[in-house]
Amino acid sequence: MAQIFPEWTNKLPPIVAGMVILILVGIIGFFWYYGSPYYTDVGYRPEQPVPYSHKLHAGDLGLDCRYCHTGVEVSPVAGVPPTQTCMNCHTMIKPDSEKLKPIRESWESGEPMEWIRIHKVPDYAYFDHSIHINAQIGCSSCHGRIDRMEVVSLVEPLSMKWCLDCHRNPAPYIRPPGNITNMEWVPPENQLTFANRFISKNNIDPPTDCTGCHR
Amino acid sequence: MSKELKNIPSSGKEYWRSLEQRVKAPETEAFPHREFPEGTAEHGATFSRRNFLSLMGASLALAGLTSCRRPVEKIIPYVIAPEEIIPGIPLYYATTMPFGTEAIGLVVENHEGRPTKLEGNPKHPQSLGKANVFAQAAILDLYDPDRSQSVLYRGEERSWSEFLAAWKELIKEYESSDGEGLAILSEPFASPTLARLKKAFLRRFPKARWAAYEPVNDENIFSGVNMAIGEIGRPVYHCTEARVILALDSDFLQLEHDNIRNAAGFADGRRVITRDDEMNRLYVVESAMTVTGGMADHRYRLQSRQIGAFTAALALELTTRGLPVDGVESLDAYKNHPFDEKWLGALADDLIKNTGRSLVVAGRRQPAEVHALVLAINSALKNINRTVEYYPIGDTEAARQEDLVSLVQAADSGDVTALVILGGNPVYNTPVDLAFREALEKITHTVHLSTHVDETSGYVEWHIPEAHFLECWGDVQTPDGVLSIVQPQIEPLFGGKSKAEVLAAVSTGDDRSGYDLVRETWQSILTGTDFNRQWRRILHDGVYDGSKVKPSRVEIRSQKLATALDKKPFPTDTAGLNSMEIVYQVSNSVYDGRFANNGWLQELPDPVTKLTWDNAIVMSRRTAQELGVKNEDLVTLQHRGRTLQLPVWILPGHADYSISVELGYGREAVGRIGNGVGGNVYTLRRSNAPGFDIGVSIQSTGKNYLLACTQDHHGLDVEKLARESIRDRLPIIVREATLEEYRENGEFVHEIVEPPPKVSMWKEIKYDERPQWGMTIDLNVCTGCNACTIACQSENNIPVVGKEEVRLGREMHWMRLDRYYSGDPDDPEMVHQPVSCQQCEMAPCEQVCPVAATTHTKDGLNGMTYNRCVGTRYCANNCPYKVRRFNFYNYAKGWPEIVQMVRNPDVTVRFRGVMEKCTYCVQRIALGKIAAKKENREIRDGEVVSACQQTCPTDAIVFGDILDPNSKIFKVKQQNRRYELLEELNIRPRTSFLAKLRNPNPDLKQTQNPKD
Repeated sequence: MAQIFPEWTNKLPPIVAGMVILILVGIIGFFWYYGSPYYTDVGYRPEQPVPYSHKLHAGDLGLDCRYCHTGVEVSPVAGVPPTQTCMNCHTMIKPDSEKLKPIRESWESGEPMEWIRIHKVPDYAYFDHSIHINAQIGCSSCHGRIDRMEVVSLVEPLSMKWCLDCHRNPAPYIRPPGNITNMEWVPPENQLTFANRFISKNNIDPPTDCTGCHR
Repeated sequence: MSKELKNIPSSGKEYWRSLEQRVKAPETEAFPHREFPEGTAEHGATFSRRNFLSLMGASLALAGLTSCRRPVEKIIPYVIAPEEIIPGIPLYYATTMPFGTEAIGLVVENHEGRPTKLEGNPKHPQSLGKANVFAQAAILDLYDPDRSQSVLYRGEERSWSEFLAAWKELIKEYESSDGEGLAILSEPFASPTLARLKKAFLRRFPKARWAAYEPVNDENIFSGVNMAIGEIGRPVYHCTEARVILALDSDFLQLEHDNIRNAAGFADGRRVITRDDEMNRLYVVESAMTVTGGMADHRYRLQSRQIGAFTAALALELTTRGLPVDGVESLDAYKNHPFDEKWLGALADDLIKNTGRSLVVAGRRQPAEVHALVLAINSALKNINRTVEYYPIGDTEAARQEDLVSLVQAADSGDVTALVILGGNPVYNTPVDLAFREALEKITHTVHLSTHVDETSGYVEWHIPEAHFLECWGDVQTPDGVLSIVQPQIEPLFGGKSKAEVLAAVSTGDDRSGYDLVRETWQSILTGTDFNRQWRRILHDGVYDGSKVKPSRVEIRSQKLATALDKKPFPTDTAGLNSMEIVYQVSNSVYDGRFANNGWLQELPDPVTKLTWDNAIVMSRRTAQELGVKNEDLVTLQHRGRTLQLPVWILPGHADYSISVELGYGREAVGRIGNGVGGNVYTLRRSNAPGFDIGVSIQSTGKNYLLACTQDHHGLDVEKLARESIRDRLPIIVREATLEEYRENGEFVHEIVEPPPKVSMWKEIKYDERPQWGMTIDLNVCTGCNACTIACQSENNIPVVGKEEVRLGREMHWMRLDRYYSGDPDDPEMVHQPVSCQQCEMAPCEQVCPVAATTHTKDGLNGMTYNRCVGTRYCANNCPYKVRRFNFYNYAKGWPEIVQMVRNPDVTVRFRGVMEKCTYCVQRIALGKIAAKKENREIRDGEVVSACQQTCPTDAIVFGDILDPNSKIFKVKQQNRRYELLEELNIRPRTSFLAKLRNPNPDLKQTQNPKD
């Protein structure tokens, strides 16, 4: 009796098995990487409705962060400035600039600007700016050198692992008073001596429990 | 588990949740053993292969789409930032909730112009910083998507200005005729501005008619007082001062006027800290078991119609004991009464012993004569101006049925040509014999102001949407005259108008803003030199301090009282099986129907029956047996030629041959939540008997009607609970003794059970770093009012699941109120026990979570991380208290956007497949911690309050840092009545209970002999 299956079919089982393994590994690897803190939005750099330059305003002109982000010391949200804040200066400076047209339109029509959000933690994580500022964590620690960014981009992953790294060991990031908005700040050599003293004096105890952020 | 039981006080007491459980019906046995009833995990609807495939396909496609890249999120700042608002920080404003003729002072949490939570205003005398169920739930009504959205002319959309133009044209003819044919039907109010506008209206149209109507009102009380002293007075009770309280068919702790103040005062007089403390004694005489009846030390079940004769018998009893009661000379007919002589005698003795420190209250359902007699009794007991004060009625516009009747008659005979209905829903809730709708249809021009396009709106010419009290300006007065302002929190969402604005427009045809109207009134109220300064102060505080009035002088006109009592004698016959009594009850959920479209309230289990989403015919076991009906039998109720079909619910403790039915259900035009829920009892209610009536008969239809009752859900899993050992075990869960037993043995709580040696399976962690959060619940003052459940629902974004889901045991309330009966199944005692997550230090749930979604925090919380939860439900299965709730569906989804505005932005909204439970309001703890940290200090005691604690009218719930020796919680935890639920499991719950005490009269010592 002739063979029912030709000879090449002998190779089928290993091929199928190999493919199944490959697909499985692929699926697991896909979720392993894309579901992990290593895959983040670092580098996210959307185009804003107005090409506002932080480099110009915060860097070259030296405006303090808090001129616009007024809530940062008292509120969970730092806040994006109202159109009014832009118009404080831009009624005088470059009042006819083409780039500022949306701002002027918003000012005249009363329709708010729609900025695109870059720094975002998930809705189930409750981040509070004010307590970080009060614990002497500076802007650039999380937001990077905003003063050098023509267009703002995300520089830190804002993942839970990244948060916890600092919550578990905040000492390297605590700044002396007056340096919160200082973009140039780098930890001095005696950073740990200063920080440890500050931590014990001010009872700095960042939560590492889940409920610290997830409510 | 080996456990020695000994020394159970009130021994022989048997606790049970329902009659089914007591007789050990098979379906209830599963409840204590299972996390959810059988079949809960299965899909409710038919789930065919086809829709499974389509769902799977869709979700795969969606999953593919969403994972591609992160969604673009917009930040939308202000154009011009308002000065006070810092985004992210809520603001708190004082306002007042007008409720009938009452005022509930509130503080509103407002997130960037969006009110999200209501709390009591501590400065307001009628709320005392607390809120009841209705005040807590009122926020959801603001965002009701079914509210009326525009002015309608015969059902067609019009604008407010079109209405004004039309009305201006119309009133020209009435101006010349002095208002002949013009009429206003208003809801009762206690508002200086509305009172001023009413006067102005009647000045302009002197011949116009004015009637005030509300289906549940205090007219009987007012006319009773009038009968006795010749002047209308509003009683205000000082329950704290009263050592002995007698409630005659009055649910004064829950549904009668001033219930927050009553409950708070009652609790203050009842709270026991040490063995030497005094405790008040509560006697209750009532037909249906109520919250007040559950708190009673002695409860006498009696048909509502016999309450009058009972009061008369009491007056006689007091008189024979040397305390003459005014008007007693007309009461001779009640000398031969059927009531328990011993009970009545002991009560009378107790009242006399506590002269000047006792209080008798009667329910609003009872006729005026009862209230007149009660006033006379209080006066004889020298209670007036000690435990009860009567205040002049002032600017209060009280309901008067007489006016309504004459208005309807005039309309019938064509004497009314234009009618303005200022709020309310008279077609739905006026007495059925008045045939209001027919009369309304005879009126040429009709205007109706209401929150919804409701049953009445369909029969009117003009419908105007009414603003919610959080949307408009107004003012209110408490019974003792304290004035407060209703301050809007948000622009009217649907362009609603306030009563004041409509009344002003109706009077003059002019469009005046509510703000101007209220300020105009207050120009004459505030007499200081700087009006604006005073005004701002009042807006800030929420009350006008200088406005309290003096109580009226009470001098009984004995002769007139006697004549009145003679004229309308109390019924002395008893209702029987063929002609039963019907008692119209106010609903604990929807009140008189005004909250019918409020999902939180519809799903809130009634404190006593534990029914949700329905009303039922509530009757005693004996009545049901003789009628041959059982729970959930659909029966036809026949009453004076009218019929209504409702299911039966048997309630232990109900008077025989009397049935109770709740008003406010059976709405037809209120919205997606309330339409078609329950039956409309107003279709039986007659104008000559709005409280209770006789002559009801019941026929079985042979059909069944499924009710969603939560009473057996989440039963605590004490070994073999539903079996024989229940008798032994439940006294451990609800520990209870009499005051006498407590005085004899202060440690009774701990001697009830000798716990086995506590051995731990795990390494025990020491929690010694401050703060450590803990809670106590004093069962002795908890009335079971449900306010905590709704406060929790509002604070923690807890979804509404609907009747079908409740039937499956899937209700989501984090705070449930276990209601236990004990004693005689026909006349039991009742205990409420609020149970939410006990925050065990060694939590069993944490041990079984495979993904560490529930973990312990340093400050002793059993934390729940929703985003980690994968929904294995092992934790709920392992929780001995059954306090974990599972999102079987995406309950939060599918609601219009406007409903989402009610959500607390500080709490995650949970998705399908996620477990949730009480967190001790961890969001409030976090905010308190941050605030303290910013100032580099410890959290102060009382700085962090949980939502349930904040609203609890009786302060039964205490929360705080148990390691702070100066904190309130530390002191409460030292009390010897403290115990933990299932402490023998050695899981160390952080929530403790304080044992319940009762204070029975030693003269009435009963040998309890429960018979099956």
